[in-house]
Amino acid sequence: MSRRLLLVTILFTALNSQPPVHPSFAQAPDDQAPSAAPSESPPPSIDESHLSEFTTRELEDAATILADLRGNVRMFPDNAEARLKLAQGLYRIGDLDAAIDECRVAIKLNPQDAKAHLQLGVILMAKQDWRAAASVLKEAVRLDPAMTHAHYSLGSVQYSLGNVKAAIQSYRQALELQPHFPDARYRLALLLKLTNRDQEAVQLMEDAAQGGIPQAQFFLGNAYKSGQGVKKDLSRAIFWWTTAVAFGHQPAADALSKLRRQALSSDHKDRRRQDALDAFHVYRDKLWEGFPDYSRTDDSETLGTRLLKENRADYAVSVLLQESYALSIVAQGELAKLYESGWGQHLAPFDKKILTCFETTAGEGFVPAKTILARIYGKGIGMQPDLQKAKSALKGLSKQEMMPVLDELGLL
Amino acid sequence: MLDWPKLRRLFITSPQLQALTIGLLAALFAKAVWTVAPATFTAFDWTAYDTWLRHRAPIAVSPSLTIVSRDPASEERFGTLLDRALLAQVITVAHEAGATAIGLDHRLDHASPAQLGGAASDALLIEAVHAAAPVVFVHDPDSILRSDAAILGHVVVLTDPDHVARQIPLLTMVEAQTVPAFGSILYDLSQQQASPATKSTERATTTLVNPVGNGSLAALPTIPLSSVWEAIQHHDDQKLDGWFKDKVVVILPNAITQSPWLLPTSQSVSGIVAQLQLLNSLLTDDRLCLVGPVGRYGITALLASIVAWCLLRFRGSISLLFAVCAVTIYGALMMTILVGLHLVLPVALPLTAALFVLLGTTAWTHLTAGQRMVLLERDMLRVQQDAAAIREALILRESRAEALQEDLEAAKAAFAQSAGQQEELTRTTESLRSQIAEAQAQEQMARQQLEQVERQLHDLRAAGTKAGTVGDAELDQLRNECRQLGIITQDPTLLRMFRDVKKGAKSPLTVLLLGEPGTGKELFAKAVHRLSPRASKTFIAVNMAAISPELFESELFGHMKGSFTGATADRRGYFELANHGTIFLDEIGDLRLDHQSKLLRVLQEKSFYRVGATTPTTVDVRIVAATNRDLQKGVSEGWFREDLYFRLKGLVFRLPPLRERTRDIPIIVEACLAEMATQMGRPVPKLSNDALRVLTEHDWPGNIRELRHALERAVALSDDSLLTKNSFYFEGVATNEEKAATLAATLPDSASDAAVLNCLRQHGFDMQATAKTLGWDRSTVTQRLKGLCFQALVEANGDQAKAAAVIAGDSTHLRTVELKLMDYYDHLLSVIEPFGTADEALLDCKRRFKNLPDRHFASVETLVRQHCRQKAIPSTGLKKDVQSSR
Repeated sequence: MSRRLLLVTILFTALNSQPPVHPSFAQAPDDQAPSAAPSESPPPSIDESHLSEFTTRELEDAATILADLRGNVRMFPDNAEARLKLAQGLYRIGDLDAAIDECRVAIKLNPQDAKAHLQLGVILMAKQDWRAAASVLKEAVRLDPAMTHAHYSLGSVQYSLGNVKAAIQSYRQALELQPHFPDARYRLALLLKLTNRDQEAVQLMEDAAQGGIPQAQFFLGNAYKSGQGVKKDLSRAIFWWTTAVAFGHQPAADALSKLRRQALSSDHKDRRRQDALDAFHVYRDKLWEGFPDYSRTDDSETLGTRLLKENRADYAVSVLLQESYALSIVAQGELAKLYESGWGQHLAPFDKKILTCFETTAGEGFVPAKTILARIYGKGIGMQPDLQKAKSALKGLSKQEMMPVLDELGLL
Repeated sequence: MLDWPKLRRLFITSPQLQALTIGLLAALFAKAVWTVAPATFTAFDWTAYDTWLRHRAPIAVSPSLTIVSRDPASEERFGTLLDRALLAQVITVAHEAGATAIGLDHRLDHASPAQLGGAASDALLIEAVHAAAPVVFVHDPDSILRSDAAILGHVVVLTDPDHVARQIPLLTMVEAQTVPAFGSILYDLSQQQASPATKSTERATTTLVNPVGNGSLAALPTIPLSSVWEAIQHHDDQKLDGWFKDKVVVILPNAITQSPWLLPTSQSVSGIVAQLQLLNSLLTDDRLCLVGPVGRYGITALLASIVAWCLLRFRGSISLLFAVCAVTIYGALMMTILVGLHLVLPVALPLTAALFVLLGTTAWTHLTAGQRMVLLERDMLRVQQDAAAIREALILRESRAEALQEDLEAAKAAFAQSAGQQEELTRTTESLRSQIAEAQAQEQMARQQLEQVERQLHDLRAAGTKAGTVGDAELDQLRNECRQLGIITQDPTLLRMFRDVKKGAKSPLTVLLLGEPGTGKELFAKAVHRLSPRASKTFIAVNMAAISPELFESELFGHMKGSFTGATADRRGYFELANHGTIFLDEIGDLRLDHQSKLLRVLQEKSFYRVGATTPTTVDVRIVAATNRDLQKGVSEGWFREDLYFRLKGLVFRLPPLRERTRDIPIIVEACLAEMATQMGRPVPKLSNDALRVLTEHDWPGNIRELRHALERAVALSDDSLLTKNSFYFEGVATNEEKAATLAATLPDSASDAAVLNCLRQHGFDMQATAKTLGWDRSTVTQRLKGLCFQALVEANGDQAKAAAVIAGDSTHLRTVELKLMDYYDHLLSVIEPFGTADEALLDCKRRFKNLPDRHFASVETLVRQHCRQKAIPSTGLKKDVQSSR
């Protein structure tokens, strides 16, 4: 039970945040640190915090900082630390070659400095000089075998070089040094998956997913969907995808969208349609498990409406959104009201997230969402009235379904 | 053990075997030459195929094939290198849209770099592959990513020595691993999807590329990756279904930069494009097939053998023409099969082999011409031998047929006689039965007597009593009577004949004496006269051959005075002179037909008209005629009147020639020498043993007359009282031909027999042909030859080889005659075998050999008696022979 609570907590935390949505999860964001390690959440090592301690503002002042750093180097040319800082600054602005030169000078000044080797290795990774990076990182590991990040980076380099076994070994060593290292678990899980060790991979992936790695959550959802390494459970797949989406993971959003389309498919004979509908239903029911203090009073009640009744401003709207994305008609109706009138000081009217939910599910063919959206467009709730758009939103509905909306909009 | 000479002969004489061998060798040579210049020969071999590929009508593209390829828009959007996550998405979409098989021109030989998603993208791809399993990738031995759902196929194209890529191996070995072709795997997957129970992978090891258009990717319809991506993004399921549903989907995510394979269409393509062409040809079932190495060699050897056979079978320019025709037909066939059946037949190898055959066959023909000639001659000889053997078999069958015919006639006659006698037999059966017991008792008695006689004979032999001095009393008496009549003989046959003559002389019957010249016909005629009641009357001997035809009537019948010029007085003819006596008409066979009729009248009516007389003259004359010709044959041939012949044939005596009674020669010689000595007033000359042997062994065609002349010559020319063999001069040693001629001359009716014999020899003793030439019935010729054979056999003292040599004339037909002679003789023996005595046998022989000329029947009689003697058949005649021989 405590584990479920933890998961739900992760989920809602994620839902309340507004992460950027990338067009492709695999593409590293441009503003991401040029660290070759694809970890969105850096490891909690104090030693390696300098790599991620730069803020956007500092980046803007990079040129000034660089000038200061160069001044320090001029003043103390034999100070390895000053050179490493200059190298870091150069790395920040993307001058990889100069950064590499500074690192090499620093290593020359202090050959036993494992951090200097690690820094050089990371810069070489950024330059995709995998062989040189591997060599330098191996040296760093030799100098300081307990340096987790060096093992982690070496794992990435080894994989890029095609040495999958060596990469797995490096990740395992990183995990031995620091068991609570979700990124390393995720990376190791991926490699195990690629080597057909699905069960171990799923276990590690689950740990990483629980550690808040959206990619791990996405892959875990995939595993539950296809039954690779675990028992097939589509509702759990929805859960993990939803969790990943909360972190702004687009592939997970795509996967969920696809599943919703399947559930809303017009082919009633398709077994997959029923499976998907059942999975969304089970998922909605399981949401109650996150709130053991509440229990369902009747079948039409959802967790979101209950939380709304209970004035649980912290969770009510996000749960309603989850249920709406999980194709709950009741939740969508409640959200429509919230959109139109807001919820006191907790929620302003015309909330964009609610509108996006309607638009998304309507586009996927969810009939209640279509009617709600048509009403919003037609009446101009939170926007300029646009009957054309309203009509367009109703496309694909039967007359019986359209009639009330059209009547309300005076289009009959 | 192999019979090498036989095999060699078989090989030399069989153009087919030679052609086959030359064909095989030429094919080997052609293959060897190919290895020297493989590029040139390969280019030549494929010339027709390549030309056809370039100029044929465009082939169809399978509607079941969907190719997703990169386009500028996708390059702009996704970059040069694609994220594997994107590939995973396309695979998933294609699979969910219902693709029958999915293939990717992508190698799993590297990990995705971080900027392309790294391990996450790889994992997504593997997931997608698992979901859409199986998915075909391009094989790479260094694959890093492995999945059970990924099938790896090679994209290798085989390059021929002329650097043109025409074939794709359906299976290839990569580092001890068998890797199937990319296209064939996709085809198999699609087929298994359609019918899982069947696997339609080609059994051949390679297949020919059947390119659409010029074979490039541009010739194949493709869907841009950007369009697919757009459809995915917009969830355009209809479009995606149209592209992927029930299709074989091939995704080409990489920019095709290298085109290392040069197709026959002069278009360079990459391996994956060649695989797409293969896949299309498999899907459209429009495949090009290539004859395998064994088939190529076989076809080459076959064509080369056919060309070789044409050159060996025919001669001169016609053989070249046929060979060129064979090659041309092959060329046309090759093109027809290529266009119609899409089967590629070899070109360079057969043509090169044909060229070698042309040279090789010419050389071979010259080398083996001599040997072939030798074998040909041997074959001719063998064929001749075969022909001779067949002829012999024919002769045997012919003779057998004749014998059977004779048997049949005899049986018919016997049957007729039996039928006539059946009633009488029935009547006499009872009396015969009663006589059987008596006969059996007599037989028992006779057996006892016989045993007694044999015991006596044995005792006599044991006593060593001098043979010949003690003879049969009757024979001695006959011999003495003969001597009194001038007939010197101790030959039992002749003596028995004399006995018959003596008996017959008493009757008024006409006597016909037959025999060779010099056998003593006139002596017997005189004997007839002297032994007849007319002995005291006149004996007139007339040589009919010596009488002038104009004076025939006058001489025989006399004439009246003034009946013709010169008839100054009445003259009595020979018939009148012999009135109450005997007239001997010698050489009656030489009488003209008109004279024969006049003579016949005299014989019938005993009266005649003198020339110029008006009243007939009646005479009482005993007629004795003689001739050395075959009157029966004269009857059949028409030169002797049949009625005259029957009139003359009262008592017929056949006088044996001297060579048949050689035992008489010593006593005749002795008598003659004594007479000559008396005439010359000289002491009787003695004859040496060798001289006697020479005289005994001589044939004596002129019989006793010749013997007498020889003795007279010897006595006259010899001063010594002892005549040795040198005293006798015979005109050389007679050759077979001369002997045959002699035989012909000595035979009765010699001219005719000789003619028949010559005719037979000319026709190789073919009865039918001889009969046709002579205008006779075949059986007549057969009877004549049979008679001649028997006669020759008698004269050769039973030596069949000698007799056959005489009849055959030369060695050409010796074997034929031998066979015939043996058959005739065997038949004769089979006829007489059942009979206990020679007389009984002869009686049956007379019935069976009734068509045999009479002069030859004497030979039959001799042979029968000889045979019976050898068998020691207890007959009267034989007893006498035995006694006389003692």
